[in-house]
Amino acid sequence: MNVRIAGATRLALSLAVAAALCSGAARAADPIVLQWQTANLTESQYEPIWKKTIAEFEAANPGIKVEPVLVARKDHWTKFVAAAQAKQAPCIVSVDLTTAAYNGYLLSLDKFWNAEPASFRSAWNPDILTAAKWKGQLYGLPIWGGTYGEIYNRDLVVKAGLDPAHPPKNFDEYIAWGRKLTGDDHWAMAVLGGKTDTTTRVLLTWIWANGGEAFNADMTEATFAKNPKSLAAIKTYLGFARKGGIAAPAPTTTNYLEQTNLFAQQKIATMRNAYWSVAKVVGDNPALKGKLFATSNPANVPDAPTLATVTASSISASCKYPEAAWKFIKFDADRKWSIERAVVANWMPMRNDIADAPEIKADPMLAQFVAMGAHARSYPLPHPAWAEIAANDIVDAVQKALLDPDKTDQIFRELDAKVTKKLNDI
Amino acid sequence: MDLAPRQRQRLTGYLFVAPVALFLAAVVIVPLGSAVWTSLLRVRGLRSSFVGVANYATVLADETFWHGLARSAAFTASSVLLHVALGLALALLLAELRTARTALRIAFLTPWMVAPAVGATVWLWLLEPQFGVVNYLAQSAGLIGSPKAWLGEPLSAFASVVAVDVWRGVPFVMLLMLAGLQTVPQEQYEAAALDGANAWQRFRYVTWPNLRYLVVVATTLDVINTVRHYDIIGVMTGGGPASATEVLPVLLYNTAFRGNRFGEAAAIGVLLLAIVLALVVVYIRITRIDRDAGDAR
Repeated sequence: MNVRIAGATRLALSLAVAAALCSGAARAADPIVLQWQTANLTESQYEPIWKKTIAEFEAANPGIKVEPVLVARKDHWTKFVAAAQAKQAPCIVSVDLTTAAYNGYLLSLDKFWNAEPASFRSAWNPDILTAAKWKGQLYGLPIWGGTYGEIYNRDLVVKAGLDPAHPPKNFDEYIAWGRKLTGDDHWAMAVLGGKTDTTTRVLLTWIWANGGEAFNADMTEATFAKNPKSLAAIKTYLGFARKGGIAAPAPTTTNYLEQTNLFAQQKIATMRNAYWSVAKVVGDNPALKGKLFATSNPANVPDAPTLATVTASSISASCKYPEAAWKFIKFDADRKWSIERAVVANWMPMRNDIADAPEIKADPMLAQFVAMGAHARSYPLPHPAWAEIAANDIVDAVQKALLDPDKTDQIFRELDAKVTKKLNDI
Repeated sequence: MDLAPRQRQRLTGYLFVAPVALFLAAVVIVPLGSAVWTSLLRVRGLRSSFVGVANYATVLADETFWHGLARSAAFTASSVLLHVALGLALALLLAELRTARTALRIAFLTPWMVAPAVGATVWLWLLEPQFGVVNYLAQSAGLIGSPKAWLGEPLSAFASVVAVDVWRGVPFVMLLMLAGLQTVPQEQYEAAALDGANAWQRFRYVTWPNLRYLVVVATTLDVINTVRHYDIIGVMTGGGPASATEVLPVLLYNTAFRGNRFGEAAAIGVLLLAIVLALVVVYIRITRIDRDAGDAR
């Protein structure tokens, strides 16, 4: 009996050791899997590039696999927050950097950045890097950006009897153009009031173009209604959506996607957007290729700033393989991919060493957006509560004002009070 | 250890119940405890500090919560009323049918079988202002002159989410009512027919008294189910426009994931739970009253 038990024990032990060895061997052979989430992976103009980037990265780094996490733009932030709270966030993310860093969702990149040679680090201007810092620490590597300008459909402009060589320079001229570009079933433009921060981006460009400010200098006070120029700009812009105005209907459900769809279908003649929207529109309606032109935003003050988004790649705090993640971020930030993103997806490069690249020089519209960027303010605005303020509070006020225009003053006064409280409650 | 037979029997009972109790503890009690604990914390991302009942005070002092509560009440009342009325009407219709009954039952049940988020996404596109089928049909039929932004205006957005919830919720009530109709004694209908009762009288004096208890139970269950509803509104409007459809579960989600205020969101969740528990108590009382009445009979 004892002999039988001893034999059985030995057999069990041998099997256990063999199983442990096998599983250890399997684990050693398993590649590191890095999840990658940005709001843009679902955009068709970017798809061929990111697929190529991943394929080449994996070929160069056989031990690492990159798994894209495809999330609709409107769910991008909430999905990230839910995952970050569970300490299961994708390793590589592009999110509202200040808010995410403040909440402890991101890893400081200083260790990796400082270990890189000066030749690598010098490809980013200090100003650009400032937009990726929180409390002096680097939390993201700026990869691409988008400067907001006014993009027109040349055919529709000419058809309306307008001269593309002399686009509107100020609000009054814009309104005059708008009236001519609006007909029974088509409109000059679309007012954005859908529930994402794109609504806020466009609103800010109108405020700044009128010499207004949405916040005081140290971002401790909101001045949407307090600053008369801001309020005047808000009323002008949202007023386009009034009955008989120059904007497409349904502004409270219109966002980037709806706006570009309307533009691609030639239902609207102009859109306030970044250069990447051109690639999206031409992808949706190839007949528009070469028929678009861009100008600076019409402004009532000289040298009015526009808005330039800075999208940075970050490493989430819960990432198990930060070294591998940094390797991918570096790879993705390479000159080659920056040029390809600019040419194919129309994303503005953030590196300072590719302005002279022949591919970039060959694109006059890109050059135009680069020039507009000289007077741009970086976005998101640097405040920990910005993600909520931009996607919730401001959008809510815009929607309310669109639905009840006569109460615009009151709505934005209430917004000032609400946002000021949030700005100081961190 | 010697145990008395009665003790042994009790212990065996506990052992049988233990796996379920452990499972319930893992999936209900622990998350619930965690939610209550979170509601007592000020949470900013991964940092938190104990603030007692401050989150409850903040939530209850915020008009957004009361607005959400009012929206929840309006949404629940409209949806449940329509669920029950239409569910009962469809059940009566199907019970009367002699042909294609099974096919129609399956057809009416389809919305209930579809995942709510999937159904909501389909409706989102059907109601799309520029290219949606609903506008196309309404315009073709001459019901509207120009495309309507169904989800872009407070009243129509609210009506739209109620309509989609009714589309999805009616089959459940219909199913309950159909089951209830099977239990109505056929002799009562025969007696009513002999007395010369018309269709309305048969419903009023035979069907309704037999179904009344079931209607109350179905209504209570439906209220409990609808008041904590998130998915359809979350997908279709996210609570907009201008908070017109921001019922409490949507407010909870927006506070937590858009606002990064998990403590306040948890407080909203606990308050919502209290509302649902109150409704459960009502439900238990109703079923108990009926059981007692049954015992007395």
